[in-house]
Amino acid sequence: MAIRELKVCLLGDTGVGKSSIVCRFVQDHFDHNISPTIGASFLTKTVPCGNELHKFLIWDTAGQERFHSLAPMYYRGSAAAVIVYDITKLDSFQTLKKWVKELKEHGPEDIVVAIAGNKNDLGDIREVPMKEAKEFAESIAAIFIETSARNAVNVEELFQKISKQIPPLENPEVDSNESFKLTRQPPPSTRRCC
Amino acid sequence: MASEDLPSEFDVVILGTGLAESVVAAACARVGQRVLHLDRKSYYAGSWASFTFNGLLSWIQEHTAGSQPETEELHDWSNLLEDGEEMICLSNTNSAPFSNVQVYCYTSEKDEEEEDEARSPEALNTTEEEGGRGGGDEDGVTEPAESHTAELKEEEEEEGGERRQEGAADAQEEEREEEQEEEQVEAFPSRPQVSWGDRGPHQLQKTCGLNILHCPITQAIQTEGEGPEPESGQPRPSAAPSQSEPVKKKISYAQLLKEGRRFNIDLVSKLMYSRGSLVDLLIKSNVSRYAEFKNVTRILTYRHGNVEQVPCSRADVFASRQLSVVEKRKLMRFLTSCLEETQEEQAFAGRPYLEFLRDQQLGDNLQHFLLHSIAMATEDTPTEEGLASTRHFLRCLGRYGNTPFLFPLYGLGEIPQCFCRMCAVFGGIYCLRHSVHSLLVHKDTNRCKAVIDSRGQRISCSHVVVEDGYVEAARKPTATPTRFLSRAVLITDGSVLSSESDQQVSLVTVPPSEAGGPSVRLVELCPSTMTCMPGTYLVHLTCQSVSSAYQDLSPVVTRMFRTPESHDQEGRPSVLWCLYFNMADGSAVEVEGHDLPSNVYVCSGPDGGLGHQHAIGQAEAIFHKILPEDEFCPPAPNPEDIIYDGETCTSPLGEEGEERGEEEGEGEGEGAGEEEGEGEGGEKEEKEQEEEEEEEEERDGEVQEKQSLKSEE
Ligand SMILES: Cc1cc2nc3c(=O)[nH]c(=O)nc-3n(C[C@H](O)[C@H](O)[C@H](O)COP(=O)(O)OP(=O)(O)OC[C@H]3O[C@@H](n4cnc5c(N)ncnc54)[C@H](O)[C@@H]3O)c2cc1C
Ligand SMILES: Nc1nc2c(ncn2[C@@H]2O[C@H](COP(=O)(O)OP(=O)(O)OP(=O)(O)O)[C@@H](O)[C@H]2O)c(=O)[nH]1
Ligand SMILES: [Mg+2]
Repeated sequence: MAIRELKVCLLGDTGVGKSSIVCRFVQDHFDHNISPTIGASFLTKTVPCGNELHKFLIWDTAGQERFHSLAPMYYRGSAAAVIVYDITKLDSFQTLKKWVKELKEHGPEDIVVAIAGNKNDLGDIREVPMKEAKEFAESIAAIFIETSARNAVNVEELFQKISKQIPPLENPEVDSNESFKLTRQPPPSTRRCC
Repeated sequence: MASEDLPSEFDVVILGTGLAESVVAAACARVGQRVLHLDRKSYYAGSWASFTFNGLLSWIQEHTAGSQPETEELHDWSNLLEDGEEMICLSNTNSAPFSNVQVYCYTSEKDEEEEDEARSPEALNTTEEEGGRGGGDEDGVTEPAESHTAELKEEEEEEGGERRQEGAADAQEEEREEEQEEEQVEAFPSRPQVSWGDRGPHQLQKTCGLNILHCPITQAIQTEGEGPEPESGQPRPSAAPSQSEPVKKKISYAQLLKEGRRFNIDLVSKLMYSRGSLVDLLIKSNVSRYAEFKNVTRILTYRHGNVEQVPCSRADVFASRQLSVVEKRKLMRFLTSCLEETQEEQAFAGRPYLEFLRDQQLGDNLQHFLLHSIAMATEDTPTEEGLASTRHFLRCLGRYGNTPFLFPLYGLGEIPQCFCRMCAVFGGIYCLRHSVHSLLVHKDTNRCKAVIDSRGQRISCSHVVVEDGYVEAARKPTATPTRFLSRAVLITDGSVLSSESDQQVSLVTVPPSEAGGPSVRLVELCPSTMTCMPGTYLVHLTCQSVSSAYQDLSPVVTRMFRTPESHDQEGRPSVLWCLYFNMADGSAVEVEGHDLPSNVYVCSGPDGGLGHQHAIGQAEAIFHKILPEDEFCPPAPNPEDIIYDGETCTSPLGEEGEERGEEEGEGEGEGAGEEEGEGEGGEKEEKEQEEEEEEEEERDGEVQEKQSLKSEE
């Protein structure tokens, strides 16, 4: 099966559980005292989708969002973005719109957007009604799901939904951009120009 | 997105997010230092930044118009001083290293199609001015009288501008711009605001009216630089397939604005040597995983009024149609012998490389290629330097492609951002639109103990790294840099040398037009570098300043492209829009000898060299001053190493290796110049080259770095 690498970037206020969601998804693990993501540029997990394998490269903000200083390169080449809010914090939902706007300005045009209302295990102190969030997501044609990184609710589903929305590989012509990553090995030899 | 207070204790505070500062930030955070990295701008990379088209218009606005930049209110934070401390204020004005910013727009402001479409309200605002013109543009035949006047007006204004510039200070230049601003703003008082991109709408509106002298050229645009299908009216075959644009239609200014996000326009124009210090650092540190790159596909040169391809790889040499068989042999022999030191070259030590080349009796063609395009030397470059450059060039060939150079997707401005991300991943804290008001220095030790940020917070630290622009002139060893660079940025509608593929990335060396003049380096980027919109090319020109950027570079632009000043430039690409500016040459900025505490280190800003050695060297030196014991940018762990990947166990390296093996095999089979190559005695040389590469591999401990030279031929 062909492996397709998909970059997914996470957005959302600090403390909403972005890292916890990735940690749950990638390692199926939850840690109450998760330390700010240190040392990991991005995490990966491969899931099957149709007759392809989707290898998610999940980028966490590395805290650069804390002082409104995310770099445009964070969004480059992202196939999808997950904007996370905390259902127990109205503020974190209200800033969602700012993140959507930011994404429109800096993100790729065809990016798949998913909104995740996290910490839905804490329903008794909920501040954000599900209906309102769902309607907002629909208004911007985004995927919507409520998750709990703690109880492993809907985290897999979130990424499955994203997988399904990723358009099939475009015609190879457009894709054969001949750009490459620098590794300790050289990239494939390119067509010569004369 | 809530704002918090910054922590009040760090090990290293870094001001400015240019390349050198960002590398220092990444290197320090990587080995566990607590890093605070600030930039007073709202964007990353400072003088190394790249901008969307609209972002660049705001930048232009900021650097003309005599804009009094963010002069923060004067605060008195002296209450934050502790015993035995004194305060050193940093520069709060934006003493930007840019001057002589000039913009010209040579395309029509908007085209008819767009007017017809019901577009967002901002598109309608200019209709009054454009009323009489649309039809003419669309047909590409009639040139409205209006644009003649526009042209004249433009030239007049230009002359005025130039005269004033000669020997004139920037202040005057800014005055001129200010005058214009007033005029123009009054002239279009009722225009609705254009809201675009991430900058203020008002700024942009002013920019449109103020700096840009519209000067449409609509005649004879059937002959695009692109290809040989003129009048037919068929779609341009080589133009980006996604765009259904008729041949004759020129991209309008409105379209540039509309597609502005597709542009990533660098202030600095450089390339990455494939075996240069930047590439090595990116790979070594694993920062390379944050970015993607393309090969520069062609080395070109400008000679006798034409753009020619420089054969530099063996494949090129053998495939070249410009070179005779004799020349091919001579060139191959020279390039082979050049790899080793010979007694001959010692005899030329201290004498110009040109003399050495003459002595080799290579003929004019080869001499030109070797001197200007391969060594990128001038007529007085000494032989040993010329040979060293030639060797460096040859060493860099074939690692990733047919030329020694790479270019990052989305522009060079990505690179500092990549290092910043590495820093952030290792706990560095980032804050844009934030600066430092002053350094607090312990008088007895002459060391900086803390800084006061622009909000009056005292932040203690052990080391401070500052970009030169943050230092007050009075504390610098020399108030102004001794050398400047002249830069031009063009958006054109075709390549300087059309070829089968319209997705070429080219380095063009333009030798001085008169002896002693500056040689101009031109980098042409195609849309697949993600730096310009489909159907356009982004062209960067750079040279050492002799006078203003416009005076240094516009003659080259006029000769190589089609502008209203060009005569008889059929078949040349048209310039749609262009920008000229001067910037300080970082290699002429002193980084030692400042009147600053001993634990404050200065970065110079970008230099004029083609590669990145200057900035990387500077960063490494600063790192070793801060942390003499620590390793500079050891590899960050692979995500695969820290995280169990449930599905696949194959490492990506393994996969890629296999794929590559196959592709190389194919390459071998279809090598067009291959047989000829072997006939010419290329075999022997291949071996040597391979041996050399193997040595290098051993040294680097890189297992699979070899790219078969055969596949190149
Ligand atoms: C012997 C020598 C001569 C140089 N001559 C010039 C010059 O005439 N004009 C100028 O502007 N700059 C010169 N430089 C500096 C050089 O231009 C810059 O290093 C260049 O900008 C390349 O930067 P990079 O980071 O892409 O590659 P680098 O990091 O510079 O390349 C990696 C290695 O190649 C070597 N190297 C780099 N550039 C050259 C070169 N031009 N010639 C030989 N070896 C090189 C370096 O020693 C380095 O170890 C010279 C450097 C050296 C070592
Ligand atoms: N109850 C509950 N707590 C959660 C859940 N997800 C995360 N948390 C907690 O919320 C806190 C913040 O989680 P993080 O994953 O660090 O949040 P983040 O968005 O990555 O934060 P930054 O890295 O600071 O931007 C942690 O204490 C988590 O334990 C959840 O689903 N339910
Ligand atoms: Mg986190």
